[in-house]
Amino acid sequence: MKKIKFGTIARYTLLAIGGIIMIFPFIWMLISSLKTWAECGSMPPTWWPKDPTFENYVYAFKTAPFLKYFRNSLIVTVVCTSITMINTILCAFTFSRLKFPGRDLIFSIMVSLMMIPYEMLIITNYTTIVKLKLYDTLAALIIPFTSSIFYTYILRNFFLSIPDSLYYSARIDGASNWQYLWEVMVPIAKPSLVTIGLLNALTCWNSFMWSILVVGSVENRTLPFGLFAFTDQAGVRFERLMAGSSIVVIPVIILFLFCRKQIVTGVSKGGLKG
Amino acid sequence: MKVTIKDLTKKFASRDKTGEMVTAVDTLSAEFESGKLIALLGPSGCGKSTMLNMLSGILPVTSGKIYFDDVDVTDLSPDKREVGLVFQNYALYPHMTVLENICFPLKIKKVPKAERIEKAVEIAKMVHIEDYLKRLPKELSGGQQQRVAIARALVKKPKLLLLDEPLSNLDAKLRVEMREEIRRIQRESGVTTVFVTHDQEEATSISDYILLMKLGVMQQFSATREIYNNPGNLFVADFIGNPTINQIHGTYTADGIKADGCDELIPCAIKANEGDRVVFAVRPEAVIFENEKNTVNATVNDLYSSGKDWLVNFMIGDTDLRGYCDADFNVSEGSKIKVGFKEKGAFLFNEATGERY
Repeated sequence: MKKIKFGTIARYTLLAIGGIIMIFPFIWMLISSLKTWAECGSMPPTWWPKDPTFENYVYAFKTAPFLKYFRNSLIVTVVCTSITMINTILCAFTFSRLKFPGRDLIFSIMVSLMMIPYEMLIITNYTTIVKLKLYDTLAALIIPFTSSIFYTYILRNFFLSIPDSLYYSARIDGASNWQYLWEVMVPIAKPSLVTIGLLNALTCWNSFMWSILVVGSVENRTLPFGLFAFTDQAGVRFERLMAGSSIVVIPVIILFLFCRKQIVTGVSKGGLKG
Repeated sequence: MKVTIKDLTKKFASRDKTGEMVTAVDTLSAEFESGKLIALLGPSGCGKSTMLNMLSGILPVTSGKIYFDDVDVTDLSPDKREVGLVFQNYALYPHMTVLENICFPLKIKKVPKAERIEKAVEIAKMVHIEDYLKRLPKELSGGQQQRVAIARALVKKPKLLLLDEPLSNLDAKLRVEMREEIRRIQRESGVTTVFVTHDQEEATSISDYILLMKLGVMQQFSATREIYNNPGNLFVADFIGNPTINQIHGTYTADGIKADGCDELIPCAIKANEGDRVVFAVRPEAVIFENEKNTVNATVNDLYSSGKDWLVNFMIGDTDLRGYCDADFNVSEGSKIKVGFKEKGAFLFNEATGERY
């Protein structure tokens, strides 16, 4: 039998402990959401629900319109991410390939804007939204976040690393700038784009503070806000809270499982952190 | 298609503080015959790639005109010129398979899918890559990538094919093989082709015409044999030919050339003005050994075997020279011999201007 080195065992043990610490809260949430109230509060806690029940989920869906929240979150995330991606791609192309006077100066100014903290923008954004009469609409959740200097910066740097000869080659092959962008550059940048898209989608999905500020009615709540409101309705019934939380988290986990490979390669290639 | 270049000039803003413009190509005029293979040859930095980029439309010209078959294309953008260009690094689209790469120019032209695949496969057969159509560029060797790049350039039936240092990324054996391939493909497709190279051997082995440049100025533009047999100036004579041409510096007299560091007169049939400082240039194959008439004393330095004959390195006075002799010629290092020069392959140049007499 092959001898297993001590170092290997130590490494795997450490990794396993780390993994368990990371994943435990999620597992506990899922387990708790399947317990009854009595079991959830019992001491000592049980590992596996004696009598697994989906009652808490039924309650959650009955009390709060989670499906509506889900739909709102989905609309905001999809629309916001799509517009951001198109903006980012066009902007990155402009600042990496097209030549016009003052290009680098304009880009430096844009990059320096990243230093302004998000919290400082909240009040101005809020007044703008109110003045545009967009208060309490889904558009209010989308419009302020349809461009990202950070993502533009990352993508521009990636575009700059693509050799000029590919551009000239495509031009000689008869492609216009527009065709070159979509037929050559975007497919090559796909790993970076997937990463940017996923990070952006996650930010949209989890956005909480802004939606509390600009959305009032139940009609336009997104999932995080809805969950926040649900905590009031659920009171101290932790098993119900856990069911609500699971409803919010599960779609994201499914998305991650499907796109795990792209996220990992994208993050390691693009040098991005989530 | 015939290509006519008239007074083509390209100036770049210099990077230093003086702000003076650097001239990369200086008022160059030439006419490339239809269906020929033309080599743009010169040492690095001579402006040959700049020339190619102006022909393709990537670089705008500073002044002068380019005509394709009498149509002025000087201000046309690259996508409208109908040229094919193969880059030094091949510039294949890394995310597309070989077939998709070759199809790309047709896809842009909106050729129906079935038709473009048919055309692409036809071209792929011509460059012998039909077995690799499903592969990605990174799964191909350098030579195969180059064939793909040529196929992609040819598939849209360009009027002019441009190759930028097409062989410099290949190993020695493949280079010889590929240059013959380029010749064959050019013959089969009949497309006017211009290729850039700094290797005179590459240029002389496959091209019909050679345009030799130095510091942006055209030195000579003539048929390949002609540029070897009849160099216009000393730079051309020195650049073309391997081993390089022998050069004897000296003073011209009516009886012969008084070479520096040598007491004898070297007989020379070419006429110049008495007392001119000249360079007597002789191709190694124009050196004759053991010739009784018109001979000069020389000392053998070294001998190299080059298969059927010897390459002899010898001295006349202070000048180091090389020549070919038969393998059974009896010499060794240090032997005193007599050498003469044939008239064909010997040229006389002005030492200061490099101009030929």
